[in-house]
Amino acid sequence: MFRTLKPFGYFEPKTIEEAIGALSVHGAKAKVLAGGVDLVPRLRKRQAHPEYMINIQQIEELDGIIKETAEGLRIGALASLRSIELSPLVKKNYFVLHEAIHSIASIQVKTQGTAVGNLCVATPASDVAPALLVLDAKFRIVGPSGEKTVPAENFYLGVGQTVLQPNEIITEILLPKPQAKTGGAFLKLVRTAADIAKVNAAATLTMADGACKEARIAVGSVATTVLRVKKAEGVLKEQKLDLKVIETAARAAAEEVKPISDLRSTAEYRKETTRVLVKRALEKALERAKA
Amino acid sequence: MKKEIINLTVNGTLHEISVEPQVTLNEVLREQLDLTGTKLSCGAGECGACTVLIDGKPELSCCTLAMTANGKDILTIEGLARDGELHPLQKAFVECGAIQCGFCTPGMLLTSKALLDENPDPTREEVKSYLSGNLCRCTGYVKIVDAVLAAATEMNKGGK
Ligand SMILES: Cc1cc2nc3c(=O)[nH]c(=O)nc-3n(C[C@H](O)[C@H](O)[C@H](O)COP(=O)(O)OP(=O)(O)OC[C@H]3O[C@@H](n4cnc5c(N)ncnc54)[C@H](O)[C@@H]3O)c2cc1C
Ligand code: FES
Ligand code: FES
Repeated sequence: MFRTLKPFGYFEPKTIEEAIGALSVHGAKAKVLAGGVDLVPRLRKRQAHPEYMINIQQIEELDGIIKETAEGLRIGALASLRSIELSPLVKKNYFVLHEAIHSIASIQVKTQGTAVGNLCVATPASDVAPALLVLDAKFRIVGPSGEKTVPAENFYLGVGQTVLQPNEIITEILLPKPQAKTGGAFLKLVRTAADIAKVNAAATLTMADGACKEARIAVGSVATTVLRVKKAEGVLKEQKLDLKVIETAARAAAEEVKPISDLRSTAEYRKETTRVLVKRALEKALERAKA
Repeated sequence: MKKEIINLTVNGTLHEISVEPQVTLNEVLREQLDLTGTKLSCGAGECGACTVLIDGKPELSCCTLAMTANGKDILTIEGLARDGELHPLQKAFVECGAIQCGFCTPGMLLTSKALLDENPDPTREEVKSYLSGNLCRCTGYVKIVDAVLAAATEMNKGGK
């Protein structure tokens, strides 16, 4: 571990245009800086070597505001994990996101770190990403050729890799309006509370006339990206949800994942745990959908 | 790289400081301002020993570039005692035996202060949860949690 960081240039753009301009000039040599919780330790460990740091925290058009819109909920790119966790709107209508962030232990990390920063790191162990996948989130991205909206589901390409280009920034997370009779749940298995997930799982269920109208299940730490397990979702659709159907879906989920063995768990253990966590998350989501 | 002047209010005193972009807030506090109460341990966001309050909120000085703290208000452990009198949290840490080697203590105290500012009457579980980003190699945490609860009781009685 080094104490000090290697020198780099620093730029504090005041507008998104200035930021995109600077990122376009320097390309992969520049890095966007938000809370710094991920990036600064990487610099210290010499795992990242940017020549220019573009701090986006002073951009006037960016903020951390969490508010309801005609389409649903909008979370500004600078929103800290903690502000999202504590938001009454998130607790009321998007409880699975609250639950996911609540599972992250360190208050300092959540106070300083942004949700968008967490997503951009693109670790398959993110707790935030599975919750956003089951909530059908979209990310608003701005780049040199303008603005686009990318579904969370299409955002990840691999470990540390996303569709985001070096000269693009995320400006907002957008969540659709919550549907009636919907319940969600997030669960994770860890070695100690402060460690990252061995496996995590998020689920939402929408019920109508006693049957499942829509099911979304996402799991983390069991493939190169956080992913939706669509075969498992398919098992639930249009079914009356009893324990047997839920167990079948959970088994399907375990079949769909491609975990690795590492210091936290073996691949076999992760598969088996996927089954258990998905089952429990579905049971909890069902209870909440009925309530 | 080019130095720039930043303004930091540290423990109530405004400092004009010249820094290079790669310098962290932790280095400024320890090496330019001689405030060595703020520790550097893991340098990776894991241990909380470098915690300071930035505009009242607990943040990690090891993960903060000094330039991004420009214009902000910073409280370090050196600013917790007032007029020579220890803060109730500091007194409680001493009285409850919540300190052994002391390396984690500044971070523990500042995080605890942020907790009591937000939630003056926390439960034991709430204290444990709020302090989970602060690691201690020595105490086993029980006495630290005892101390925070004792300080809360004392402060709610009207001690300051
Ligand atoms: C001790 C510790 C424990 C943790 N525990 C957990 C945990 O249990 N679960 C979990 O899910 N996470 C955990 N994390 C991860 C943490 O949530 C992230 O590191 C943090 O949220 C990153 O956000 P940041 O704002 O600090 O990002 P930064 O470090 O500033 O940036 C991270 C990356 O995102 C990019 N970026 C940031 N904002 C934008 C933007 N608007 N547009 C484009 N690119 C952008 C940066 O270029 C950089 O590549 C933990 C981290 C630490 C250090
Ligand atoms: S030194 Fe900053 S978190 Fe460990
Ligand atoms: S008292 Fe030694 S690390 Fe906590």
